[in-house]
Amino acid sequence: MQQQGSKSGSEMEVTWEDQQNINTFSRLNNRFHDLDDEIKSAKEKCDNLEDAGNELILADEEMVRFQIGEVFAHLPRDEVETRIEEMKEATCKSLEKLEEEKVSVVSQMSALKKVLYAKFKDSINLEED
Amino acid sequence: MSSSSPSGSGGDLTERRGIPAAKFIQDVETYLSQSGLDPNSALAFHQERLQQYKVVEMKLLAQQRDLQAKIPDIEKCLEVVATLEARKGTGEALLADFEVSEGIYSRACIEDTDSVCLWLGANVMLEYSCEEATALLKNNLENAKASLEVLVADLQFLRDQVTVTQVTIARVYNWDVHQKRVKQVTPTAIAAADS
Repeated sequence: MQQQGSKSGSEMEVTWEDQQNINTFSRLNNRFHDLDDEIKSAKEKCDNLEDAGNELILADEEMVRFQIGEVFAHLPRDEVETRIEEMKEATCKSLEKLEEEKVSVVSQMSALKKVLYAKFKDSINLEED
Repeated sequence: MSSSSPSGSGGDLTERRGIPAAKFIQDVETYLSQSGLDPNSALAFHQERLQQYKVVEMKLLAQQRDLQAKIPDIEKCLEVVATLEARKGTGEALLADFEVSEGIYSRACIEDTDSVCLWLGANVMLEYSCEEATALLKNNLENAKASLEVLVADLQFLRDQVTVTQVTIARVYNWDVHQKRVKQVTPTAIAAADS
């Protein structure tokens, strides 16, 4: 993302407030990309837990090998079911929070875009490459 | 640790943990006359600053990756210790399959126990009671999370300085071109600033 003036020759005053707006936009953009990655991995985790839950229902063994840390512990089926439910709930809740934050970041970014484009017009580029 | 205030004129913070702050320039002409630099030298100076910032950024990003790998490790250890602790009263042994080598697993029978051994690094392993182990691991987790927070704040500060420097370079360049255009009788070709 370019933030330098892409058109030369124009005498453009940049105030400290403008600089701070640009800095904030940069931070928000970085946070946006980080959030995208986090949301992707949270979604994956949610799907995996969903699949695990389904597999559990299909399997009819009494003892299931459940991964705790680096080892697979032999646990009774009910305990595994409970654990998976808890993990699913926690992951889904965190996914929701991440999505919410993403929406807020996007709206803050578009508000800043309006302000910066109004002042700098063509001298600033706030789009993704 | 000093924190940067969001309001006020430029240059609230001169440096953070060894990273010099990029001074915000109110007016390009005043800056150039005060520093006695010609536009090219000023540009060279700021470009070099930018490179230095990039080097520090690489270092901080590497540290961040390390911490982000360490935290899930500690959480996994905590989970295992918690499971062992939960089983303590019951008297039944825990069967666990663990990896001996890639793709090869072996079965372990973990009896009811009061203590666990923790790998501390540097070829050192210590035996702790379950409570002590939990306390130690929790402490490590808190420290790792706190370090990560400080690191993220450092990175944000650094990125702000990079942005300020990039904008300064663009402004000095634009000012220079503008001056040259004003001085020339015939208009010159307008060259876009380097990214």
